[in-house]
Amino acid sequence: MKKILSLVLALALAIGMMSFATAEDGKIKLVVWSFTNELQGMIEKYYLPNHPELDIEFQIYPTDGNAYTTKVDNTFGANATSDEAPDIFTLEAAFVKHYVESDWTGDLKDIGFTDEELAVAFPVMAQIGQNSAGVQKGLSWQSTPGVLMYRASLAEKYLGVKTPEEMQAKVADWDTFLETAEELKTASNGEVKMIIGSGDIWNAYQYQRSEPWVVDGKLVIDDELLDFEELVKTMEQDDLTHKGGAWSEPWFAGMRGELPTLCYFLPTWGLHYTLKPNCVAGWDAENPDSEENIKKATEEGTYGDWRITDGPVAYSWGGTWMGINAAKAAQADDAKKAAMHDLIKFFTLDDDFLTQYAKDSGDFVGSKAAVDKILAEGGTPNPFLGGQDHYAIFASAAALANGSLMSEYDDTINSLWNDYVTTPYTKGEKDLDTCLTEFKEAVAAAITTITVE
Amino acid sequence: MQAQATSGPKKKVKSISYSHWGYIFIAPFFITFLIFGLYPIIFTFRTSITDAVGWEKILNNNIIGFENFRQLFDPNSLVYSKFWGSLGNTMIMWFFNFVPQLGLALILASWFTDSRLHLKLQGFYKTTIFMPNIITAATIGMLFMSFFAFPIGPVNTFVQTSGIANMPIEYFRSVAWSRGLISFIQWWMWCGNTMIIMIAGISGINPSLFEAALVDGCTSRQTFWKITLPLIKPILVYNLTTSLVGGLTMFDIPHMMTQGNPNETTNTVARFIYTQGFTGSRNFNMASAASVVLFVIIIAGSLVIRYVLNDHDPKPGKVSGKGAIK
Repeated sequence: MKKILSLVLALALAIGMMSFATAEDGKIKLVVWSFTNELQGMIEKYYLPNHPELDIEFQIYPTDGNAYTTKVDNTFGANATSDEAPDIFTLEAAFVKHYVESDWTGDLKDIGFTDEELAVAFPVMAQIGQNSAGVQKGLSWQSTPGVLMYRASLAEKYLGVKTPEEMQAKVADWDTFLETAEELKTASNGEVKMIIGSGDIWNAYQYQRSEPWVVDGKLVIDDELLDFEELVKTMEQDDLTHKGGAWSEPWFAGMRGELPTLCYFLPTWGLHYTLKPNCVAGWDAENPDSEENIKKATEEGTYGDWRITDGPVAYSWGGTWMGINAAKAAQADDAKKAAMHDLIKFFTLDDDFLTQYAKDSGDFVGSKAAVDKILAEGGTPNPFLGGQDHYAIFASAAALANGSLMSEYDDTINSLWNDYVTTPYTKGEKDLDTCLTEFKEAVAAAITTITVE
Repeated sequence: MQAQATSGPKKKVKSISYSHWGYIFIAPFFITFLIFGLYPIIFTFRTSITDAVGWEKILNNNIIGFENFRQLFDPNSLVYSKFWGSLGNTMIMWFFNFVPQLGLALILASWFTDSRLHLKLQGFYKTTIFMPNIITAATIGMLFMSFFAFPIGPVNTFVQTSGIANMPIEYFRSVAWSRGLISFIQWWMWCGNTMIIMIAGISGINPSLFEAALVDGCTSRQTFWKITLPLIKPILVYNLTTSLVGGLTMFDIPHMMTQGNPNETTNTVARFIYTQGFTGSRNFNMASAASVVLFVIIIAGSLVIRYVLNDHDPKPGKVSGKGAIK
């Protein structure tokens, strides 16, 4: 009796451990991986109700501590066609290039995409989703153009600037940006700073380059990067910034107006998810649109005081791409390929859906056609921006940004550039030549597959 | 216990052996260890002599011999100064964490176990001192990062308002501050743990020895040096060894707080292995080779500790053996 019982228990345990992922009868089974529940929410809300034939298994692994990439690497490295491996998986800006350059992601044309379909995406987002041979492997439902956001009250008080157009003239390029920073310092007796810290400019400035970090397997240090160092050093040494890092406490204090700061370089998502919820201490995240919340944010914080303008350079920051598992797509039957094609197309290129989604979420979407449609319908005046229409400005930035400046190892090289060059050089700890030598050594040690000269 | 186990089965006509249950009960550990412990170790050893750069090559690679080790030991290679520099940083930060930790833990442990002192609220103190150990290292790293934030943070606000400094201090650009803070956090987190083990060790000493010492008129200091310390040598060896292993594989606090900055002065060996294996081109071969070298260093260090503290003088070992039996 005992033996039978223990046998049963052991069996139950074994079965419990092996939780099989089997599709329901007749349904098409898709495994979708992501690093937030955003896509899952979108699919469940907009897609699954009309597609009962699909059985989608979602897996979410956070990007914290590289958990997501480690999971992807382990799974694909071991067996890309296992039941657990994704059919469709999302890729963040930090690592999208790495995966589209690898053989793990498949050509979207293999599951039925055509050139005409792909043409409606914003070029910058499409370019980032391509590998160096130009094969389209990833598509994004968002477009994340970056702009310059500034405080209208400070601009008017110290610079006499009344409209975003006048402000644009003050920040048309990096030289005028620096002049404006000096002007602001003089006018405010050093109290108001142009930006919080040098990290803020970097995301925009890197789009000033003409070549990515790695070209034909060689490290390229674009001359613009040396100009960037001089600009940042001048700003640090002349006390034109608050010397705080991005995402640090001072960075948020500046958004609340506690640390008087004129400009922030932020993309689309930065407006809704970073600047707006941080414009006042104690922002009511549960009822952001409630009257008391807006009133409090306007009186105590900076709500309504922000304006946006193009800034010195058109750039893009962030984004999420949907990619497919090449190995599993190769094994899939036509019905499954069609299902994957339809799902990715719906979320990344379908005008009707994207227009609806943009209205529901306030997100800036990845299809040019959908954006044009929203603009044609009469724009989106934003009370947070004092009634300014953010869609029009984002649309022009999205059309201009150059998506060919991203490369596979950007994440590593950017952080090495910051640690070995920007920080020690701008703080006056080392001279530029020493910094550059150490940077090259660090890159060569970290990335053995490229040539560093 | 022992008597029962041997005499019990003898009385019965048919001898029944229960010993196989023992194997079954310890089997889960060994199976888990073989899969998640031994296999990865062997895999690491193998990877260290291959050209496995990037995930694509993790399973399909070629054995290239000891090239990776050559680079680690060749002063002209790029990784040489980074690897040995990180080992030096690790040793420095470990030393400044471990010496105060052991000292304070010993003092606290002897106070808590001293029958003459008979401290009140012992449970409260022990819990408070042990508390930091149960918080995740990453959380503590974040906490200290915001404490010492530049240019605005609680510490900077304090030093400015109290008149200690008139400018905010950038703590994480200073080598001494960065290393000091990491050592301090390690010390603060692990002191309670070491203390509890020490208390357990001291409690294991036969109380009649302390009573005899008391009767013979020993001072507290004499009792500590002549009785407590020699008798907890095995515990000291255990503590030193685990601390050496923990210290040389130090990763989370430096990784969260400084990312090895400023100028690689807080880069630890584990961070070196991480950056080689999990950033850039993912040089698993180099990361594995560095892990193997670290493995050898830790084994050598543990053997030295054992030799110096245990086998050097056989007499205290004998006494501690007796003392441990209650």
